[in-house]
Parts: sequence; structure tokens; C-alpha cells
Amino acid sequence: MEGERLKGHLDLIVLAALSAGPAHGYAVIEEIRRKSGQAFDLPEGTIYPALHRLEQAGLLVSHWVTAETGRRRRVYALTRRGERALTDRRKVWQQFSAAIGGLLAGTRPRGRPA
Amino acid sequence: MISEYLESLVHALNFDRSLSRRVREEVEVHLREAVAADPRCAGPEAERRAIANFGDPQLIAAQFAVVSLAKRTRGVGNAVILVIAGVFITMKARVAWYAVMQCAIGDDIRAVSGIVGSIDRYAFWLSVISGIGGWAYICGRGIPAKFHAEYRTQLGRFRWFCTAATGALIVSVISDGLLTALRLPAAKLSAESLLPIFSIAIEIACAGVLVFQIRSIMQRATSTAALLKT
Repeated sequence: MEGERLKGHLDLIVLAALSAGPAHGYAVIEEIRRKSGQAFDLPEGTIYPALHRLEQAGLLVSHWVTAETGRRRRVYALTRRGERALTDRRKVWQQFSAAIGGLLAGTRPRGRPA
Repeated sequence: MISEYLESLVHALNFDRSLSRRVREEVEVHLREAVAADPRCAGPEAERRAIANFGDPQLIAAQFAVVSLAKRTRGVGNAVILVIAGVFITMKARVAWYAVMQCAIGDDIRAVSGIVGSIDRYAFWLSVISGIGGWAYICGRGIPAKFHAEYRTQLGRFRWFCTAATGALIVSVISDGLLTALRLPAAKLSAESLLPIFSIAIEIACAGVLVFQIRSIMQRATSTAALLKT
């Protein structure tokens, strides 16, 4: 799916990816790919400004951890506010999705006009 | 190859050193992991692919710049409130000092000091209202993902609130200086007058901090806009 189309939903995508538990940026991207069945292919670099923005908004917290390999990683986790935001956005998305689904149900692509 | 990429990203983010350090470290970890996890190739080719997947450093820096600008703007909103509170405490401390020292206003300058006192009071309250208005305005807005026209308008309004708060505070500080000069004529300069003079110096410094802060967000907004144009 095109990156530009996904950008409007980036916050929801990132929050949903972190709902499974704390993760560093690379793992968040992997989780987005995995959960979306490889359908979401954003430029990886766009995830980091989104993570910083969500942290700034108080929806995420982050801290450095040292992995077993000795590599330092910045790990992000949802805050309670982030969990609430995810619940709210999920509800809005489901309503929107149901409404579009209702509109499209029973319709079929129109043929070329004569 | 990764080092060059990181340098270009850090260079684009040089307006915020702490952010550029953090971004560099995070992005480096990401790219190294991407290279290590690449099943198709290794070495320079894997690095090239990892960088290509990550995206254009200028575009990424521009997105970080918007987040950084929003953070800085909220910081200025908080600074306005703190500075006004600082000036208020300093003014109250000076008035308390006058009461303790029984430093009354002479009858000959009572009328003048009354006028200056009124200007001081109204200017200070205008500063308080503008400062709180600006703080509430900017903190009530979300952090944008893009430097779009609506956000530019919000920044412009916030700047007006801050400019009004700072301008009014400067008038209040000048009035305080005049009142202090009227109370402490040069002939009576002594150790007792040091605290009022020191308090005025603090007020001037506070007003200076606000001017500097407003200037810094204007510069940051300009550099963010420039980064988006490149």
C-alpha cells in the first residue's frame, strides 16, 4: 500500500503495533509489516518522527536499554493515555470502516459509459 | 555508507543538538539491524538497501524538525508563564521589603507614582492574560505531523500572544524601574536600596529571557520551513 495513503493513519498504526508490548523502532516496523501481512510498506524513516511526536504528546514513553548483544536500543511503550487514545481511535476507525463497508455493500464497478 | 547517511541526517538536524544526537544513535541502531537482518545480501549492498528503505535524510529531518518546533513552542509557552510568575514574586518581594524598611513615597511624588503605578498594574495584568492565553492556546493544540498552513497560522497566533505578553511585561518592568527610582533617590543610596535595585535587575533579565525565547521560536520556524523547501 502506498506510503502517502498510510501517513494519515500513521499514529493509529504505530499505537496498534506497540499494543503488544514495548518495542524499539526496528521491531515496531517489523510488527507493522507482520500484522499487516506485508501490505504496509512505509519508508522506515517516517516511523521515528512519529514515535517522537507520540512521545511528545504523552502517548508513549521511551528509554534506552542494552540488549544481550551489547547494542543500545531506544524502547518505546504505550502510556495509559496512549492506550486510551488507541481505544478511541480504534472505535472511530471501526465506525468509519463499517460506514464505508455499508456504502460499498451491493455496489459493483460501473461499466464504461456509452 | 551508513556513516555518510547519518552525517547528512545530523547535519540537517543541527538546529537541535540533543535531538540530532538521539536521532543519530537510534537510526544507526536501526540501519545496523536492517543490514544484519537482510537475507538477500550483505556488505555495501545490504547497507545501500537499508538506507534506501529508510528514506531521504532531508525528508526525515524535516519531519523531526516539525516535532522539535512543536516541543520548543510548548517550552516557550511554559517559559512565558514561569517568567511572569517570577516577575510577580519579585515585585511582591520588593513591596514587602519597602514595608519592612518603612520606605514610604514622598508627598511630592505621590501623584506621579500613582500614574506610573496604574500603568504598571494594567501592563502587568495584560501580560498575565496574554501569557496565559498563549500558553492555553498552544498547549490545547495537537503536535502536527507536517508543517502545514494551519500549523503556521497557529504559530503566528501564538507569537502574537507571546509578543503582547512580553511587550506588556517590558512596560511593567520599566514602570517598576521608574517607581523604584522615585522611591530611592540617588542621595539615599545605601545597602537598603540594594535589594530593590537587584529585584529590578531580575525583572529586566526575565523580560530579556522572553524576548530571547520568542526570537528563538521564530528562527526555528524559519529553519523548519527552509528544511521543508530543500
